[in-house]
Amino acid sequence: MLAYVLRRLLAIVGILFVMSILIFGITQILPGNVASIVAGQFASDEVIAAVENRLGLNDPAYVQYLRWISGVLIGDFGQSIIMDRPVAPLIADALAASAVLAVASLVLVAIFGILFGVISAIRENRPTDQAISTFTYLGISVPEFFWGIVMIIVFARYLGLFPSGGIGDMSDGFMSWASYLVLPTLTLTFTLIAHVSRLTRSSMIEAMRSNYVRNARAKGLPERDVIFGHALRNALLPTITILAIDVGWLVGGIVVVETVFSYPGLGRLLVFAIERQDLPLIQASILLIAAIYGLANLMADLLYAFFNPRIRYG
Amino acid sequence: MSGRPSNARLLEVRGLNVSYEGREGPVRAIEDLDFHVDAGETLAIVGESGSGKSTVAMAVSGLLGSEAQVAGTAELLGRDVISAPEAERRRRRGVEVGIVFQDPFTSLNPGLTVARQVTEGLIHHRKVSPGKARRRALDVLGEVGLQEPEQLLELYPHQLSGGMQQRVLIASALMCDPKFLVLDEPTTALDVTIEARILDLLDDIRRRRGLGMLFITHNLGVVNRIADRVCVLYSGRIAEIGRKTEVLTLPRHPYTKGLLASLPVLAANRERHSLAPIPGQMPQPGDRSAGCVFRPRCPFSEARCEEPQALVRVEESQSVRCWKADLVVDLPWPVERRQRVSRKRLDDETDTKPLLVAQDLRKTFRGAAIRKTIWRRRFGIPLPYQPRRVVRAINGVSLDIMEGEVLGLVGESGSGKSTLGQAIVRLIEVDSGKVLFQGQDVTTLSQERDFRSKAQVVFQNPDSSLNPRRAIGPAIARAVMLHSTVRRADMRSQVEALLDRVGLPRSFYDRYPHQLSGGERQRVGIARALATRPRFILCDEPTSALDVSVQATVLNVLADLREEERLSYLFISHDLSVVAHISDRVAVMYAGNIVEIGTTEQVLAPPFHPYTEALLSAIPRTDPGTAERSRIALRSDAPVGGEATGCPFSGRCPRRIGHVCDEVVPPVQTGLAGHRVVCHIPLEELAATQAAEDPPPNGATRQRDASGRR
Amino acid sequence: MDEIAEAPSGRGWRMLRHIPGKLRIGGGIVLLLIVLAILAPIVTMHSPTQINVVERLSPPNAVFWFGTDEYGRDVFARVLHGGRLSLAMGFAATLITFLFGVPLGLIAGYVGGRLDGLLMRAMDVLMSFPPIMLGLLILAVTDPSLWKSILAVGIVYVPVVVRLVRSRTMELVHEEYILAARARGEGLAYILAREILPNAWPMIIVEASLRVTFAILLAAALSFLGMGAQPPSSDWGLMISEARPFVNQAPWIALAPGFVMCIAVVGINLFGDGLREMLDPRLKSKGGA
Repeated sequence: MLAYVLRRLLAIVGILFVMSILIFGITQILPGNVASIVAGQFASDEVIAAVENRLGLNDPAYVQYLRWISGVLIGDFGQSIIMDRPVAPLIADALAASAVLAVASLVLVAIFGILFGVISAIRENRPTDQAISTFTYLGISVPEFFWGIVMIIVFARYLGLFPSGGIGDMSDGFMSWASYLVLPTLTLTFTLIAHVSRLTRSSMIEAMRSNYVRNARAKGLPERDVIFGHALRNALLPTITILAIDVGWLVGGIVVVETVFSYPGLGRLLVFAIERQDLPLIQASILLIAAIYGLANLMADLLYAFFNPRIRYG
Repeated sequence: MSGRPSNARLLEVRGLNVSYEGREGPVRAIEDLDFHVDAGETLAIVGESGSGKSTVAMAVSGLLGSEAQVAGTAELLGRDVISAPEAERRRRRGVEVGIVFQDPFTSLNPGLTVARQVTEGLIHHRKVSPGKARRRALDVLGEVGLQEPEQLLELYPHQLSGGMQQRVLIASALMCDPKFLVLDEPTTALDVTIEARILDLLDDIRRRRGLGMLFITHNLGVVNRIADRVCVLYSGRIAEIGRKTEVLTLPRHPYTKGLLASLPVLAANRERHSLAPIPGQMPQPGDRSAGCVFRPRCPFSEARCEEPQALVRVEESQSVRCWKADLVVDLPWPVERRQRVSRKRLDDETDTKPLLVAQDLRKTFRGAAIRKTIWRRRFGIPLPYQPRRVVRAINGVSLDIMEGEVLGLVGESGSGKSTLGQAIVRLIEVDSGKVLFQGQDVTTLSQERDFRSKAQVVFQNPDSSLNPRRAIGPAIARAVMLHSTVRRADMRSQVEALLDRVGLPRSFYDRYPHQLSGGERQRVGIARALATRPRFILCDEPTSALDVSVQATVLNVLADLREEERLSYLFISHDLSVVAHISDRVAVMYAGNIVEIGTTEQVLAPPFHPYTEALLSAIPRTDPGTAERSRIALRSDAPVGGEATGCPFSGRCPRRIGHVCDEVVPPVQTGLAGHRVVCHIPLEELAATQAAEDPPPNGATRQRDASGRR
Repeated sequence: MDEIAEAPSGRGWRMLRHIPGKLRIGGGIVLLLIVLAILAPIVTMHSPTQINVVERLSPPNAVFWFGTDEYGRDVFARVLHGGRLSLAMGFAATLITFLFGVPLGLIAGYVGGRLDGLLMRAMDVLMSFPPIMLGLLILAVTDPSLWKSILAVGIVYVPVVVRLVRSRTMELVHEEYILAARARGEGLAYILAREILPNAWPMIIVEASLRVTFAILLAAALSFLGMGAQPPSSDWGLMISEARPFVNQAPWIALAPGFVMCIAVVGINLFGDGLREMLDPRLKSKGGA
């Protein structure tokens, strides 16, 4: 088990290493002249040359990469070109804001996704199942940004229940702060819940038809024990994996949802950086997001192993 | 043995009907079943796949879901199960009736400990504390013959061998002391040596506890071994029911006769004979006639058979659903008499030169790959990671196959027999060793094409041996085309000729595999193998997935072809009776090693390798005299080892002589005429003790009316 | 379990009767939308780009069915023309995904060994980017353009398809008819193309039909962020993005394309699910013992 964790960690480090090269390569080597961005549109060639020199842009690519990556390893992500401030604190604030959104959505997705999936499976092909399936269908069929706009129109404009965008301030009280989170969180949850509920439904149905469930019934156990004690335990294994994949979707969703709700998180920062071609900011955001995604997958694998004795005891 | 309780009736089934909603109206899975089981007795329900026997098990244990429409009554301990509401049935399940299903590996929940799965029924029904239930579990696990139950409780199912898993399931069924056990093919998924041990255990428990048992099986040998009475089920109806001794020795229904006649019988000194298959196949539940359902396949049928048949009592305890039973009882099942080439003559021809020689083949697998597929197949869940384990699948095997010879290869699951077969035809690469075909080393690539046409394979699984998206004709034609220069115009007639050879109608040319029955698909597989005009065919368990009556047909086709073409086979099977039936020589494989090889007669008579001996004694026979035969008891369920430096069988060997078995590789002892046994015990000593303890099966005779000898 | 599921693809007419309702409804919706998008200039007289200041921001009415936008352009016409772009992007990206994914998956699954290991590690790296991130990364450094966003969306989903096809192939490799083909000396290309692919097709088609919705949604999201379709040509994502400032005065400008997109995706999903019910080998094999 310990060897397994170490192996997985090592794999993630390896992948991050390759990704850092990729990210750096794509952003730095491809066209789009950094120096001219920094120096401004109307700078003379001399100024640009000076900037290039200062930023070390004339060094060989691997030297530039090494310089960047050794900084990254000690938490120095360089200087934001546009804002002329260190990247690290900028990202830290945005990350905190995004994390609140992401964790809240993921928890909701996990709880309600599994709940819906189990109910659907038990009531297979009956009205409850069909209602749930229609509901989740709607969620997956519409892009986040559209749901976001619909939510703004309905809950912010007509009903006036929640603010339509921005981020709250803790000093105004918890409720006020939380009210800013409601619409983005609901939007994210709604678009992601279908993955979890559908997969849970199908693996639950499969489990309910399995021999071990038949055997549990043969012992005369009450249906509640059969469902929760026997079937759900195994049916949840694939759900764990899909939840990790959903973290990836969530990151994508956050980029869009934060834009819709003008929520100052990592996603909006990234879009902002891309629009302004702020390379250090882009590199740092993407690397960070990839690292988070990798860790989420590691967590999922560990959970999977925890729930699956075949891995725990070879 | 505290005296069996008086003939208390445990189960009384009357007029049981089960039907399912089909696309064209209800389909009746079982019709008008009447039977009963008393305390202390075992009733076996025997039938082929599709006979409805498992539905019976589900019905009497109250496990049929709402999709089944059930009529009739099944009184368990005097109270009807069928009409009872689900809540009541649930209260009684596990308490009044214990149930054990077929596949122990999937019947145990992979995510829960043995402790939880064994105790939960008792905790729920009797409201005892977990601690108390645990103490009780220790007793019951001991009772079912499991060692060190204390440690066992903390294990997960995948850490147990198949035999242990089935024992755990039996233990969990016994926890609430039910008076009645329903066993649905409880030993079918197990190897025969383990099956024998489980059957002994069940018999033992029944005697000790005075249980009544309903035992569902497809295997007449198992029936003979365990049952007091037997009920023969055919296409949802009872064909015949009565005491085991009567039904097996004097079958009155033509179907029972046919079943017995189509079984290969394990006997060394006998004439080569054809098996007597039952022609045709079982009707689908939807298109059953009102008259006798067996009529289309019955050699004795007459016009009167189209009338509905009643189950009529013919003896005190025997009833038959056939108006002609009294006329048929003394008639033999007709066999197409076909003069087989005598083995003697074949021997003269074959010992000329070897066609295929395998020299010191070795192959190791790293465990992960295999187990991953198994896991996914069983649970549909991908396994992201698992530790690797090294398995020695073939551990230095040498053998040769003569021109026109059939070499049988027998072994249990995991013995490496299929790996060896695939290595010989180069479907997997070996780690070391050579395969010479017609004197040429085929492990070098240049010979590939010629070798491929001359060495072909017939596979095990009729469900996967044919590409489901390709019609039969083109599938065979492709094989013809690849290795010959037949013109396109002549192709169809070529393929049709091949269909003729395996006894299939030419109209099958345009059919798809799913339109064929399992036996027909296997015969297509044979035709496809023949298409390249091979000299050698690897038959990898070609009949294991088939019912006995169909198996007989396929075995006959293989035997005929072999004579007509002077083909050589390597015939792999886990079933020694089948191997002995078709082979000239037999090799016995255990844990990657060939432990004994010789002519069929030599292998079936002492001196045996101790493993061969155990295998022979474990096989359930249908001859009534052998039911109470003493058996060689193996010392453990699990093929332990892999690590052992000495004899791979030493951990289970009943004749282990000491540390030398564990630590020293046993010598190859050569007996008469190439008979080889790999064992530390001298051949003479083996011969002497074995002949004295266990009469060889040479004397085994077939039932007089089933043999077709007269 | 179900006899239809086992039927080979050849016998079309008898199967038609058994087509699941989902497939018919979904197919109908998809077909209708495709036809409407192609025939957009015939269906509506209005131009999607004609500026008409007098009629700006007028709510839906008999002339402008979906109302007009801030320049007085007909929203209905814009939705239809935008549909051309959105659907085309979805289908084109999916085509790219499968052109790369299917062969790679087949080879990785069949050949196995070191080649498989190498390929899968590469896919792991690709998969470590959350879907939208890879698109953003590619589009970040170069000027946004339609073709680049299609390519980006196509590449994003390659690893998923490779894995899927690979695992199906690995299942099939152990089928005995594949062993039989090897035993009679068939070559790699024949086995992949004639033995494995036909049996992987149903799953591939089902997957492809569902992937199209993912591609449409992702392409729309990229456009929404300003990295896909470029004005004045406009797809649904860009339309919604452009409509955001007017959500309070004229919600229909944003709602109309979103609503039609919703119908399109639901339609394709229904179609894919129906196909799955009809073809999926996993549904079929469940009936066995």
